[in-house]
Amino acid sequence: MSDVTRVALDAMGGDNAPGEIVKGAVEAVQKRSDIKILLTGREDVLKKELAGYTYPSEQIEIVNASEVIETAEPPVKAIRGKKDSSIVVAMKMVKKGEADAFVSAGSTGAVLVGGQVLVGRIKGVERPPLAPLFPTLKGVSLLIDCGANVDARPSHLVQFAKMGSIYMESVMGIKNPTVGIVNIGAEEEKGNALVKETFPLLKACDDINFIGSVEARDIPYGAADVIVCEAFVGNVILKLYEGVGGALIKKIKGGMMSSLRSKIGALLVKPALKQTLKDFDLSEHGGAPLLGLNGLVVKTHGSSTSKEICNSIIQCVTFREQKINEKIKTVIQQETQENFE
Amino acid sequence: MEFEKLQDIIADVLNVQKEEIKPETTFVDDLGADSLDIFQIIMGIEEEFDIEIDNDEAEKIVTVQDAVDQIKKAVE
Repeated sequence: MSDVTRVALDAMGGDNAPGEIVKGAVEAVQKRSDIKILLTGREDVLKKELAGYTYPSEQIEIVNASEVIETAEPPVKAIRGKKDSSIVVAMKMVKKGEADAFVSAGSTGAVLVGGQVLVGRIKGVERPPLAPLFPTLKGVSLLIDCGANVDARPSHLVQFAKMGSIYMESVMGIKNPTVGIVNIGAEEEKGNALVKETFPLLKACDDINFIGSVEARDIPYGAADVIVCEAFVGNVILKLYEGVGGALIKKIKGGMMSSLRSKIGALLVKPALKQTLKDFDLSEHGGAPLLGLNGLVVKTHGSSTSKEICNSIIQCVTFREQKINEKIKTVIQQETQENFE
Repeated sequence: MEFEKLQDIIADVLNVQKEEIKPETTFVDDLGADSLDIFQIIMGIEEEFDIEIDNDEAEKIVTVQDAVDQIKKAVE
């Protein structure tokens, strides 16, 4: 295995493309010499963007792709119709083994569909989940699945729990990570049909540290390292989390500026508050991997700035070095064998 | 010929035994495929046979035989 991680980067995807994406690529290669970036998009545009930076030029290569998949386009149609788009060109490189990973801030639907169809699932993986890390009082937790598979089945959730555990242990270094299933109460008999069916299956898994149900209000306190749920629930949790966080900060800032006395107080707490907010900054943790594919696919926020892009690229190195996919393959194969026995 | 190759693609995508796949087998009801699985099978067909199946035609595929017919039509 070569010492360099090759990352295909969708330079045309996201609200701030290509400017912030290219900047993020430059920041990544300035920080790390073990990364090679394959920047996919319109060559003339990208050449112009790159001309403004000084960086080790052998670490960034432009791969021309004349089309762009817009966020509003139906994903399946876009993947089939725009074969020379930055997303399709980059994903095909991962499939052919020319790149180890793919990072995009572009259309979530196209990334999810393309990931499954172009990059392909690891044999035995029923559904690849989208799994972002998010900050809690104890550090970070993994929310799995937050948008890839609505209407999941119990067997899907069991695989999510296993893949999420591998990710948290290998990438975040958490030994024997705890796994909780999102529920509306702590007792085993609570929940909808999916949760009730999944609970005993998770309980019977020897290879994960299942701690039972987790209620949504306990998630920000770090109730479990791996938070398992189906995509609809996960997406609601993630967006509510972001919304409540943003609204609360706005309200606190407003309160601090309401009188001279509070303004003086604000000045005094500012440095401590800044550090606290940094701990809760989602962009510090890179993007969300789509787990269980024959290659790494990372989706970052549509509004990603260079910092999140850079962190997402660096995240790919750990993913590859820790051989996450090999570990997932082993666990899924074991599962398949047990099912046949 | 087309059918055997198609059996391989379907078995691989849906993780089912080849013997389960017969011409009259339906993708959704018999094999439990969802829209993404079908899309993946169609992409697999296009790659294997080096053909292109029109989106409208692809949407009409219900049974394995429908897919075989589409392949034959495109190859001709």
